[in-house]
Amino acid sequence: MTPITALNPTTPSFLQGADLLRPESTPISTGGIQMPAELGQTAATPPSTDSFSSMLGQLVSEVNNQQAASTQAVSALQSGQSIPLHHAVIAMEEANVSFQLMVEVRNRLLDSYQEIMRMQV
Amino acid sequence: MIQVISGIQNTSAALDAEQTRLDVISQNIANVNTTHGLDGKPYQRQVVVFESALQQAVNQDGSLQMSPVQVAKIEKDNKPALQIYDPGNPDADNNGMVSMPNINVDEEMADLISASRAYEANLAVAKNSHTMAMETLSMGKV
Repeated sequence: MTPITALNPTTPSFLQGADLLRPESTPISTGGIQMPAELGQTAATPPSTDSFSSMLGQLVSEVNNQQAASTQAVSALQSGQSIPLHHAVIAMEEANVSFQLMVEVRNRLLDSYQEIMRMQV
Repeated sequence: MIQVISGIQNTSAALDAEQTRLDVISQNIANVNTTHGLDGKPYQRQVVVFESALQQAVNQDGSLQMSPVQVAKIEKDNKPALQIYDPGNPDADNNGMVSMPNINVDEEMADLISASRAYEANLAVAKNSHTMAMETLSMGKV
């Protein structure tokens, strides 16, 4: 077990992420991938179903909600409702950053996948 | 709701509050010569009072408790009205004295500068939070 544990920092990010998303799940039987306790706790509301894909779906719908909120704020501003300018701008910023977060998650996943596909067998 | 930009709620609340303050200052400056307000008396200078808002949801995990700012009340300034001699004014009393609003434009301009600088400071905080979030997202890239 020890050699695998030593490899821990270099485990593919998607595996770490998958473990992080299931804080209450027991570590994978190899024992190599075990998150530090405080990282496991910071995982916000555990997804209703345990699968990684449903969590990813949640992230995407969250990002979509933020995009919708920002669109709503901007159109409210443009149609002359009395919402402060900075509300619309902050909504856009939040939508922008959460979209970037989603893109970044997707990039990391794809990188890990490609790394695995290049693995020698 | 994911919090991608840390502390943006506080900054947003502060921007709201400063915006209200700017609005009230502009109202004061606009009414500097209003001798006949809604109640028939000269306009009285308005002052904004800020307070810390109580966070509704207590953080269970014991993380830092934030206290955003909010506008507590908009009060009237009770300084006495300025008296000027202007017998031709329809609002003049029998002695020809007119009660003018208790507003000093220089004071209001100084307040305006202070409020707009405070607004700018909060914008800088928002900008910084945004930069930090984007930098964090690009962490690990070569």
